[in-house]
Amino acid sequence: MATAARRIAFFATCLVDQFLPEVGVAAVRLLRQAGFQPDFPPEQTCCGQPFLNSGFRKQAIHLARRTIAIFEPYDYIVLPSGSCTAMLRVHYPHLLRGDDGWHERAQALARRTFEFTEFLVHVAEWQPVPTRSLPPVTYHDSCHMARMLHLREEPRVLLKAAGVTINEMPESDRCCGFGGIFSVRVPEVSNAITADKLREAVETRASILVTADPGCLLQMRGMLDHTPIHVEHVAVILARAVGLLDKENEG
Amino acid sequence: MSPVTLGHFRAQARQALADPFLQQALAGATAHFREGRERALAELPDAEALRDHLKAIRRATLARLADHLETFERRAQDAGAVVHWALTPEEATRIVVQIAREHRVQMVVKSKSMTSEEIHLNAALQAAGIQPVETDLGEWIIQLAGESPSHIIAPAVHKTRQQVAELLSRATGQDLSPDDIPALAAAARRFLREKFLLAGMGISGANLAVAETGSIVLVTNEGNGRLVTSAPPVHVAILGIEKIVPTWADAAVWLALLARSATGQPLSVYTSILTGPARPEDVDGPKHMHIILLDNRRSTYVGTSYEEVLQCIRCGACLNVCPVYRKVGGHPYGSPYTGPIGAVISPLLFGLDQYPALPHASTLCTACVDVCPARIDLPRMLIDLRTETVEEQLIPRVDGWAERGAAWVLRHPRWYRWASRMMRWLLRPFIREGRLHLPPRWDPFAGRRLPAPAPRLFRDLWERGDV
Amino acid sequence: MDAREIILARLRAQQRDEPHPPAWRSRRHFPDLIARFGQALEEVGGEFLRVANWEGAWEALGKVLDDVGAKRVVVNPDPPLDRFDVAARWPTVEWHVVGRDGDVRSFAREADVGVSSAVAALAETGTVIVASGPAHSRLAVLLPPVHVVLLPASRVTVDLFTWVAQWRGASSPLPSSVTLITGPSKTADIEQTLATGVHGPGRLIVVLVEEGGE
Repeated sequence: MATAARRIAFFATCLVDQFLPEVGVAAVRLLRQAGFQPDFPPEQTCCGQPFLNSGFRKQAIHLARRTIAIFEPYDYIVLPSGSCTAMLRVHYPHLLRGDDGWHERAQALARRTFEFTEFLVHVAEWQPVPTRSLPPVTYHDSCHMARMLHLREEPRVLLKAAGVTINEMPESDRCCGFGGIFSVRVPEVSNAITADKLREAVETRASILVTADPGCLLQMRGMLDHTPIHVEHVAVILARAVGLLDKENEG
Repeated sequence: MSPVTLGHFRAQARQALADPFLQQALAGATAHFREGRERALAELPDAEALRDHLKAIRRATLARLADHLETFERRAQDAGAVVHWALTPEEATRIVVQIAREHRVQMVVKSKSMTSEEIHLNAALQAAGIQPVETDLGEWIIQLAGESPSHIIAPAVHKTRQQVAELLSRATGQDLSPDDIPALAAAARRFLREKFLLAGMGISGANLAVAETGSIVLVTNEGNGRLVTSAPPVHVAILGIEKIVPTWADAAVWLALLARSATGQPLSVYTSILTGPARPEDVDGPKHMHIILLDNRRSTYVGTSYEEVLQCIRCGACLNVCPVYRKVGGHPYGSPYTGPIGAVISPLLFGLDQYPALPHASTLCTACVDVCPARIDLPRMLIDLRTETVEEQLIPRVDGWAERGAAWVLRHPRWYRWASRMMRWLLRPFIREGRLHLPPRWDPFAGRRLPAPAPRLFRDLWERGDV
Repeated sequence: MDAREIILARLRAQQRDEPHPPAWRSRRHFPDLIARFGQALEEVGGEFLRVANWEGAWEALGKVLDDVGAKRVVVNPDPPLDRFDVAARWPTVEWHVVGRDGDVRSFAREADVGVSSAVAALAETGTVIVASGPAHSRLAVLLPPVHVVLLPASRVTVDLFTWVAQWRGASSPLPSSVTLITGPSKTADIEQTLATGVHGPGRLIVVLVEEGGE
């Protein structure tokens, strides 16, 4: 099967669009290197997860329906976010249960939706060819990616294949403290949880704390004061390792 | 009690975060329980299948709960127990006080019971002139301190040895050193031993009840559960109606997972199976046994999307993995039920208007689902409760406007672009070195300096062909 | 309507057919049941002594009594202890034989050791199971600081599941009190520091008698 000929959509997610465009650039370039030509459907905005999680179910349903309509023409939908992938794959079918027609459409979309590292490993079967060496990293498993999608090995497999050393931290899958609306509703606790995460990351002597979730990434960067570590998205690290991203200009 | 609002939760949480002893105690205790649980489950040949089995038992039991309760009642009566039903906490405490008065009881000994905390039994007993004495060491410590339990398994985890020594010295009239913990425990043993032997009544909860024999099952590590149910002439057990299993085959599954999930023990030290009061041929044991089946809204959740929470076996494993509980402990929850399970059942049992903050006091990280022996999907129910707080307007009105406005914008890509530009323009004065520095008064992030929006959206880069 | 009727009516209104899962069958296999029992018992802080026959058991018990310096000992003559006159063996010790010597409560609270047998034991968890009855006082093995269990090896079964299956099959009614004991009384309620003997016995000693009969 000529997988590369199949239609693939890149769902950047609202956080990447607004705050982390370099993550989108890195991810798209890697997908291209893996032999795919992703589309960026311009009507895309947000998957609706923030609204579901804050109790605005009606708003979440509206966003879920329009997201399904935008992406269902594609064979693959790839997202650089474990959490948003979980929203499409796990929450959409639940949210739209009993919603005639939409439930089936949600299930069909869920089957074609992939988290970015998952897609590279299992669909594209991409083999990175490292062109430069990077300092050791530590990897933070985001909650929804690890526990709802059971994707723990995929980012690690790619990082290692790209020649990156991973210094594991204790409880790498413990929450970073973000929790969407939680980080605003109970910010002191949110910050305290993040501070613990950063401290443990520093203790691994890694130079970069890597994650596959834009939410965690922004949260952890928000608490970085005086912490001798960088926080980066796995796509950016991979793109740097294989020479697709010039660190100085775009990282 | 005033409602547990976000303001209340945050104020209590700030206190907890500023208390270095509490931080250390919480980290130590929860790590100990987590490691214990992992070790104990890994040692089983089939832990995952056993958890699935427990869930199936709990679900099927709730499907025919009325039948099982009636069977339990009949068999318990056959064994000589008196069974009472209480719709509300007030009814339950009234029944207990009435039993105590009938037997002219002046002092009761209690073994740790979350259900008795739920109905505020100690206050009701005291109001009736009956002295309640908690006998679980941790529970006694917090009774002496006039506080509420901060962990289902370790109620006094927040107390230092110095505080404990002071409380026990005052209670026993001895001068006890904080540096000798076994001596503190021994002093408690001596003091409480007299209480056990003098008390007119023992009050316990029940970890579970078994319909086929009309038995209640009580687990403790200290042995106070055995004493409370053996030494005084009257035993009263209070339990929620959901704590029932049809058969002993089911009870064995529950017990096999309870202590392992709670502390990592293969079984708690003492598992007491109590079937009616002492028989005529028995040498000792209580002459009278009363069992109070408490509803407190539980029956209203059977058949709803909250039914699953009634599958809980109260092991406390969810507390030990919860990132929020691990930082703030139990007190900010303002309820005997704390952590993730407390955030769901406190609003359900006592009213969402009393606990509007609790559904929001979670990152929805789902770690609780991973360790729950019955795999209860607490995050799903937290989201459902959040939805109710929105529907019942229990969140600030301005939040509602902001959320609805944002959702509308996100459905209209052209407005989304306009709003993106607007946001950048509004935030520009507050951006330094790529991060947001909001004035403390307006800062919803309590000092977290979030990265500023990127100068260009990803979609702009895409359209310009820069990707 | 009273509380009972309201609760049952609410539950009946939501009643549904859902098959109840069949009994869980133990998947445990221990090549040496007794060795596993002893190991599990020691892991939870109990003491394990293995003897060949009843003569060995009396010797072991004598050592424990000496070791403790026991002056007052209460014994529950559970079968098969009822076949022996345990008290007669140590005339210098003050004995209380439950069912023979009257009020146990005041004796047991001052006793140094409580002795009993057990109706069963679980190899998986190192648990001994005692049951109330005419020859078994609850307080006799609860109030003294030391509990010695003289256990015939034949009573050791695999785990909770095999034990439940056995007595459910026998369909005899449950005694008013059955207690599964897994180690000595303990607490970690003060700064997570372990202390033993907080309310129940601080020492649990199981003397396993290989040819203990049944």
